[in-house]
Amino acid sequence: MFDLLPHILNGLTLGLLFALIALGFMLIVGLMEQINLAHGSLFALGAYFAMQLMGPRPPLPADLAQSWLALPLGWRYAATLILAPAAVGLVGIAIEFCMRRTYGKDPLYGLLLTFGAAMVIEEMIRLTWGTRDYVVQVPQAVSGGFIFGDLIWSTYRFYAAGIAAAVIGLVWLLIEKTSFGATVKAGAHDSEIVRALGINLTRLRLLVFVFGTMLAAVAGIIVAPIWGIRPHMGVDAVIPAFLVIVLGGVGSFWGAVVAGLLVGLAVGLSGAYASEWSLLSMYVLLVAVVTFRARGLWGKKSVLEA
Amino acid sequence: MIPAPQSDSTRLITPTMLVLWLVLATVPLWIARVGLYPYLGIEILIWSLYALAFNLVLGTAGLPSFGHGAYFGIGAYAFGLCQFNVVANLWICLVAAFAVAGLAGALVALFISHRRGIYYAFMTIAFGQIFWTLAIKSHKVTGGEDGLLKIARLPADFGFASFDLAGNVAFYYFVLIVFGIAVIALWRLVHSPYGRAIAAIKQSETRAAHLGYNVWLYKASIFALSAAISGFAGGLFAMAQLAAFPDVMSLHQSGYVVMMTLVGGGLVSFWGPVIGVFLFLIARDVIGAMTNAWMLYFGLLFIAVVLFRPEGVAGAIMATWQNRSLNSMRQQGGTALRLLFGGGRWR
Repeated sequence: MFDLLPHILNGLTLGLLFALIALGFMLIVGLMEQINLAHGSLFALGAYFAMQLMGPRPPLPADLAQSWLALPLGWRYAATLILAPAAVGLVGIAIEFCMRRTYGKDPLYGLLLTFGAAMVIEEMIRLTWGTRDYVVQVPQAVSGGFIFGDLIWSTYRFYAAGIAAAVIGLVWLLIEKTSFGATVKAGAHDSEIVRALGINLTRLRLLVFVFGTMLAAVAGIIVAPIWGIRPHMGVDAVIPAFLVIVLGGVGSFWGAVVAGLLVGLAVGLSGAYASEWSLLSMYVLLVAVVTFRARGLWGKKSVLEA
Repeated sequence: MIPAPQSDSTRLITPTMLVLWLVLATVPLWIARVGLYPYLGIEILIWSLYALAFNLVLGTAGLPSFGHGAYFGIGAYAFGLCQFNVVANLWICLVAAFAVAGLAGALVALFISHRRGIYYAFMTIAFGQIFWTLAIKSHKVTGGEDGLLKIARLPADFGFASFDLAGNVAFYYFVLIVFGIAVIALWRLVHSPYGRAIAAIKQSETRAAHLGYNVWLYKASIFALSAAISGFAGGLFAMAQLAAFPDVMSLHQSGYVVMMTLVGGGLVSFWGPVIGVFLFLIARDVIGAMTNAWMLYFGLLFIAVVLFRPEGVAGAIMATWQNRSLNSMRQQGGTALRLLFGGGRWR
């Protein structure tokens, strides 16, 4: 059992990152019943923006760039965590404006629209930054590693997991404890009534979509130093996000978190014994669960099944 | 949705189709003159067969399958492996491609046919990824990322005569004949009582179930059949490329066939997917020759199609055609006169 402990720990940290990646995706699926296939590309875009901001030549006017670079790396990282998602949020607004036309139709149309958007964003990334890999600097305090058990651990991985847990907590507070969250949930449940109450549903949906987009970007920034930055990283992120959502059950917040941890555990544990096949473990886990529980662990019936 | 004109659905040969077949039969004669290359013709036919098979699931049955590349790829591998390890006979290898992909599809269908909508889509993605991972990681069997190389274009042996398919023109005609037979079979299938039942399930699963149809069986069988024909197309593709790669099984490539089918108008028309394949592959080559970011422009085009013409090119054509026939009925006499003496508006 003790031998397994490091792998379990590893899996759980990975799981928190998966849950974070899936979170924005889940909000949009659960609250708007729209599948955002561009989620992975927005995730990648967040990472690229962060890399550009943190890198040696930020896209700023010369004097501003100088004072920006004079800031300590830790501060810059914290600021990037807000600035890059804000920039990605603008892209989210553009997508939502297109997506409006598909609301109320077969969810297939929204899905295909965002597939197109994903293609466009990925190609833009290739045009702007080329196909090479990049590295994101992390603050000195959280880089490096330590030895625990018989494995070498990267410190940053734990910080990333901590930030992921904190963001997940914040989102939970926002959805469950604020009037904004209540309105959003009501809008998902019965849009007619919400509109009749005089709430601007169009604006509400825009806000939810952009919020989900920004969460994708945050996930991208946090995960980038671990996975590296490359044009293909979007696909690598959107698939675990899918899995986590379906496994946890569409529309269930805790379902997504638990499923994220489960997927992380599956990947972590199988990675310890058969690293070649560790990717396969998450699909097998999904098939196993969904075969017996059609709507995932905590899913509710939704219009997406019709 | 626009209903298909009734007279067309029962006839096997319409003037449009005659023209289409004539164009297809003469491709090797003119394709080089318009700046394209003979191999493109082969590719268009194979992808058309694949897209038509895929449209059995998406357009006819209304089932969103997003991992279909897996079956195309399985067919390609089955063709190559059969050729290397079992027997180098064209017919047996093609049957193997059909059968193995069909089996894989049937296996997946067992798991997914109770599902609906987005859960169905997710499950097809998961299975597609499983097959893709298997193809990439089983180095010893599939050659991993490098793929299965040196697949030969086996001669078509009919007992009394044998045709060498190694050249692009000969292979094109072989694929054309196979495509023709497959299209007739698919056309019959879609318009058979079985196909009608599938279409009823697309409209409402609940209603079809209440009418006494075994919805599960219909959904499972159409998926397996679609996978088998996709695999068959994959076998042809392995011959065309002289190799089988895991690339075609990836999520991206599975997305392309969805795009082709949708852009062409597979949801409303039998021929839609073929139109889509034409557009997609020619756009790939023409835009690709001008810029290396052709996916960017195709992506934008695709977004525009989803937004403004979700029923695709075929849908747009049908709408125009219907408007025209309506207008002409309203002003029967006048139109004929105006067409004859000018002043009439051509659409």
